[in-house]
Amino acid sequence: MPSCTSSSITELLSALCDCSLSGVSWKRRALGGVSRESFHRALKKRAYGALLSKLFQDGTKGPAPGLSATANTPPRNKVLMICFDLRVAGCLEEAERLEEQLERLPKGEYSGLKEVDAVLDLLVNLAGSAPPPPTSF
Amino acid sequence: MASAANANLNAVRETMDVLLEISRLLNTGLDMESLSICVRLCEQGINPEALSAVIKELRKASESLKVQSQPP
Repeated sequence: MPSCTSSSITELLSALCDCSLSGVSWKRRALGGVSRESFHRALKKRAYGALLSKLFQDGTKGPAPGLSATANTPPRNKVLMICFDLRVAGCLEEAERLEEQLERLPKGEYSGLKEVDAVLDLLVNLAGSAPPPPTSF
Repeated sequence: MASAANANLNAVRETMDVLLEISRLLNTGLDMESLSICVRLCEQGINPEALSAVIKELRKASESLKVQSQPP
C-alpha cells in the first residue's frame, strides 16, 4: 500500500481519477482537444457527483426502491453466494479458488485494516464490472 | 514497538494480496494501485456502494474519452 496513509479523501479521489486516465495518450489530444488537466477536473466532478448522489439517496429516502434482498447480508456471505452461482454455472475451479481466498482473508483486526469488510463489499459491488480488454487488431 | 508495527505491516500486506486475488476472481477490473486507493477511502469511512458507483462513473467517462481519441 502507498506509503503515506494520511491522504485526505479529496486527494484519494484525485488519485482515483489519475488511475482512470492511464492508457490515454495526451500528446495528440493536447493539440486539438481536451487537455489532461481539464479532463482530470471533469472526472473529479463526475466522481463527486456519483459519490454524493449515492450518499444522499441512501440518507434521505431510506431504503432505496428495489433494494436487493442482500443489502444487509454480511459481505463474506455475499462472496459465498457468488461462489454458489459460479458452481451452478459450472465454474468449479473459480468457485473453489474464491472460497480458498475468502478463507485466507484475515478477519477484523488481524487484517491490519479497520474496514476489511467494507472493502469486500466494494469488491462484491464491482463484481463482473471490469471493462473488456482493448481489442488489439 | 517496532515488532508490533512490522507485524501490522505484514498483516496489511497479506490482506492486500488476498483482496487483490479476490478482486481478480470477481472480475472487478481493479489493479493494485486502484485497490489500495479504494481501501484507504473505505478506511476513511466512504460507503462501499457509493464508491463502486464512483468507479463505474469514472470508467464510463474515461472510456468515452478513449473512444474519442481513436484516430478516425
